[in-house]
Amino acid sequence: MASVNKFDYRQPLHRGVLDPNRVRATQAGMWAWLWQRISALAILVFLVLHLTLTYRPLLQFCLLFTVSFHAVLGLRVILIDFGLVHVRYQKALLAGLSVLGLVMLAIVWFGIY
Amino acid sequence: MTDVKGGQKTFKVFRYDPAKGGQGHFDTFVLDIEDYYATTILDVLFRIQREQDQSLAFRYACRVAMCGSCGMVINGKEGLACKNVVGDLRTDVITLRPLNHFPVVKDLTVDMEPFFKKYEDSMPYFEPAQELQEPAVVRPDTWERKAIDMATDCIACGCCVSSCTMAFWHKDYLGPAGLNRSMTLLADSRDGLHDERLAAAMESCYNCRLEFNCTEVCPKNISPTRAIKYIHRMAVRQGPGLADRLTSTPEPKALPAPEPLTPAMSRRRFLSRSAIGLGAVAGVAIGGMVTVSAISAAFKEPERKWVSLGPLEKIMDSPGEVATIYANYQLADGFYKRDEHKPVLVSLNREKNRIIAFNSRCTHLGCTVHWDEKKKLFMCACHGGTFFPDGVVKSGPPPRPLERYKTQVKNGNLLVLEA
Ligand code: SF4
Ligand code: FES
Repeated sequence: MASVNKFDYRQPLHRGVLDPNRVRATQAGMWAWLWQRISALAILVFLVLHLTLTYRPLLQFCLLFTVSFHAVLGLRVILIDFGLVHVRYQKALLAGLSVLGLVMLAIVWFGIY
Repeated sequence: MTDVKGGQKTFKVFRYDPAKGGQGHFDTFVLDIEDYYATTILDVLFRIQREQDQSLAFRYACRVAMCGSCGMVINGKEGLACKNVVGDLRTDVITLRPLNHFPVVKDLTVDMEPFFKKYEDSMPYFEPAQELQEPAVVRPDTWERKAIDMATDCIACGCCVSSCTMAFWHKDYLGPAGLNRSMTLLADSRDGLHDERLAAAMESCYNCRLEFNCTEVCPKNISPTRAIKYIHRMAVRQGPGLADRLTSTPEPKALPAPEPLTPAMSRRRFLSRSAIGLGAVAGVAIGGMVTVSAISAAFKEPERKWVSLGPLEKIMDSPGEVATIYANYQLADGFYKRDEHKPVLVSLNREKNRIIAFNSRCTHLGCTVHWDEKKKLFMCACHGGTFFPDGVVKSGPPPRPLERYKTQVKNGNLLVLEA
């Protein structure tokens, strides 16, 4: 048998490459991270739109929604970082804070605004 | 319980042949399995190798989740082949694929060298702080032992590193397994390499983005995320001064030699001192000027002038409930004379023959408010504040109603007192 040397190794695979079940197997923590990144970009887009196209309730709602979503995910990171909530409860924290975020959203949208 | 114990299952197994090269592909194998819950993925691999394709390469040793050799990506999630049973994988087709972030040697076998390189960088060895005859005991009920918890159970399977995308994006990241090992020793009070270890961990521990992937996949139920957060908090407490402690521990620092007063030296000193002095003088001067000019404006009652908006009759004739009239006047502001060209919103009550002139400055942050004839509201475009025709806030952030101008009529012209 011909000996195998390092140059014959296949370069490393990466997350999701040739991996049909990866998205299904992705768990809450990873989604939280990913969505926080996406919502950050969405905030940038909505903010610019909001400043150029004024008085669009739909747009205003989108901005408010993405901001609260981003804030909720950030709060989760802060709480875990400072050891205020044990990492064990990260999923419960995500759910709880999301509900809190929706309540705040409703208060701001229907009550204050 | 369903009485289905077993049946046919399809397996898609990643294949890579170093002799052929290329990107690799999936081979499909169909197996009759007697009991899904009594068959591990490792059993499946043995059967494929024995019954269908002898060239299939995979790694194993202990078969009881102790050695960490058989880590692979099973249905999109890292795990040990010997620990996962077919019954727990709820898909019709089960995919088996080598770990991420490691070069693939053949089929499901990867080169773990990068893993152990990082592991080594995390200083995974214990160095006693004291010479003792008897082993020092860390009692199970101590805080320290509880903090370390099960984190010492790591079998170096590489699953966590494979699942962590940050281990890929940050080449110097010690990764979950390395930092987990680091933490077990950092929390250990007997450790003699504490500062060095902390310094090594702090180099890269902030690359963790809290994905929790490592915690999800670890077959030993370790949470490297917890370990990394532990290091973060330790770094906050012990990080300041760490560099000094590291450089000063080997031997007490020699006293700095007294500065020789050579002419060159004193000239340099003179120059640097005069630079500092001049800087201070300039700072005080500029600061004083700025303060005086900023504060004096507040003490001086600005002279206000009456500005004409044109004939009142013409204004009353304009369409709509509110006329927007541009007032042109000069504003004296310090050294400058500023030409103001500012809309004044004149609300017309034709029945009572009365008018109210509003300042178009939004009371929130000062954007210009405009009148919306259809909605019958004053609206501010910046943050969505709206005001009723009488200037009272309807919605949005403005804290006060719109400001009203003092008005008078002179020679048939409407005048407002500038502000
Ligand atoms: S921490 Fe868990 S997943 Fe990571 S190498 Fe150790 S045993 Fe494997
Ligand atoms: S064969 Fe040892 S852990 Fe799977």
